[in-house]
Amino acid sequence: MRDDRLNIGRRRWILAAVLAAGFASIYALDLQWSQLLPNAGGIHTAGQFFARALSPALNYESAVPQHTTPLLIKALAAAWQTILFAAAALSLALVGGAVLGFFASTALWLPAGAHEPSSGRPLGAALLGVVHTLIRLLITLMRSVHELLWAVLFLAAFGLSQMGAVIALALPCAGILAKIFAELVDEAPSEAAYALRAAGASRLQVFCFALLPCAMPDILAYVLYRFECLLRTSAVLGFFGFPTLGLYIAAAFENLHYGELWSYLYTLLILIVIADWWSGLLRRELLR
Amino acid sequence: MSELRSIAVLDLYRTRPKNWPVRISVGFMFALMGIAWLAGDFFTADTFAQSRQANVERFLHELLPFPLHNVDFDWAVAARWGWEILEDKGFEALYTTFLISVAAIVLASVVGALLTIPAARNIATDQPFGLYHGSPSVVSRLLWKIVFVVTRGVLILLRSIPEYVWAFLLLALLGPTVWSIVLALALHNAGILGKLSAEVTEDLPPAPLRALHALGASRAHVSVMAVLPVAFPRFLLFFFYRWETCVREATVLGMLGIASLGFWIQEARTRNFYDEMIFLVLLGVILIIVGDVFSSLARRWLRRLS
Repeated sequence: MRDDRLNIGRRRWILAAVLAAGFASIYALDLQWSQLLPNAGGIHTAGQFFARALSPALNYESAVPQHTTPLLIKALAAAWQTILFAAAALSLALVGGAVLGFFASTALWLPAGAHEPSSGRPLGAALLGVVHTLIRLLITLMRSVHELLWAVLFLAAFGLSQMGAVIALALPCAGILAKIFAELVDEAPSEAAYALRAAGASRLQVFCFALLPCAMPDILAYVLYRFECLLRTSAVLGFFGFPTLGLYIAAAFENLHYGELWSYLYTLLILIVIADWWSGLLRRELLR
Repeated sequence: MSELRSIAVLDLYRTRPKNWPVRISVGFMFALMGIAWLAGDFFTADTFAQSRQANVERFLHELLPFPLHNVDFDWAVAARWGWEILEDKGFEALYTTFLISVAAIVLASVVGALLTIPAARNIATDQPFGLYHGSPSVVSRLLWKIVFVVTRGVLILLRSIPEYVWAFLLLALLGPTVWSIVLALALHNAGILGKLSAEVTEDLPPAPLRALHALGASRAHVSVMAVLPVAFPRFLLFFFYRWETCVREATVLGMLGIASLGFWIQEARTRNFYDEMIFLVLLGVILIIVGDVFSSLARRWLRRLS
């Protein structure tokens, strides 16, 4: 983001290359444009599905036993569960991300100031370097496996355990947070760090009292954005049997209760829109 | 002296800038995380029960490639086992996943680019680019307002529904074609790219746009001849950033039944072939890392052209 310069003269070639790659992929996947038109059954389903878009169900579409929780309360409860999974995962990811990010940043093992003589303990420095590389590898591995794949792995290992779902959500998020923490701390303005270092502060003190406060607004804004992403994934986890919104979306679809389906879809939509609005507001507030 | 200094420090501390929306939000977030652990049902008693432990042990045991069970570890056997999976489905699945991600991101950026124009506040108004267009007419102002609000609404709708849900719905409507995954990824990302590029467009330096418009260029002309060139590097950044996510999601969406990597992972899981499952998951990791490296190399190459 820092350097945006680009040879404008080549932009047409880049555009052409991107479009060519798109068409080549569509051709290689053997996608026919005619497949975009749904078949008769699909049109029927689509008609029924979209007919209910403006009239989501307010009550169950089939007979239910007495004293069943009303549909809207159930939708709200599912939304609440979605939030709970996301918030629990975020708390784990914050701890993991902070610890891993601390070791993944270069602040601890590079000289803080230009005039600082290199550390008198080469062995210690080498050890820190090895730890740094290993942690970076771990972070890459954590965030390269998608949340849902972690969930599938944990499902296979533990069975349907809610704790497993929270950890599956938290692992990639912790990896991403650690990467971003480290990058933001490394890119934080270094004047304060130099000043503290010159006044005799240790590297740990420099990290805690100069680098971290400088990077804090960016970190906060990013954490909130991650929460929004967690909400989305947490909802999708329902498709694997956890009691979040996805579970009810899938169930309503399979029972052909399109009105109920729209109620759940709108609940999800409202949840995400609120999170999106909130994180956008804070980002503007923080980065002003 | 030291007392004086500490009073000064305390004063500084007391008068430091405070931002209440941020403080309230952070407090709210922490409260939410605390409530989650209290109200959530995450610690079921049987998390560490005997049967689960047995299950975990069996799972860990079966992570070892099947031909190596109960024999000494032999790299040659393991390599042959891995190669067979690769030849059987691995290469094809990787190839398909890659193609799906490229097709999806290109479609998404075309749609997103088209939606950018009516979603940017400085273009979608009756007085575009801050130029005086005569006394404003109520009708045209209202029409532009409607165009703007509807476009933004569509963008919100597109990006609020997760890819997985889009794919789930599209699979039912279109039947089992790869289109449903490509479209699911494209729709979600068109919403994100449209929003991001509209924001970039609004933040562009207004002078060149205004000058072109004053010379008689229409909104479309200005978009193609001024907005696109100036904002192009930023658009490209977003393009690659979302492409990385597309590779990730294309892997997973296969779990809905289209022959990308996720399909074979899900299939290996239902057959309880955990060794094969973890192998395919690691293949996905490699694909994603290669995608990340390629995207960062491409970005660097583009920057060096200048």
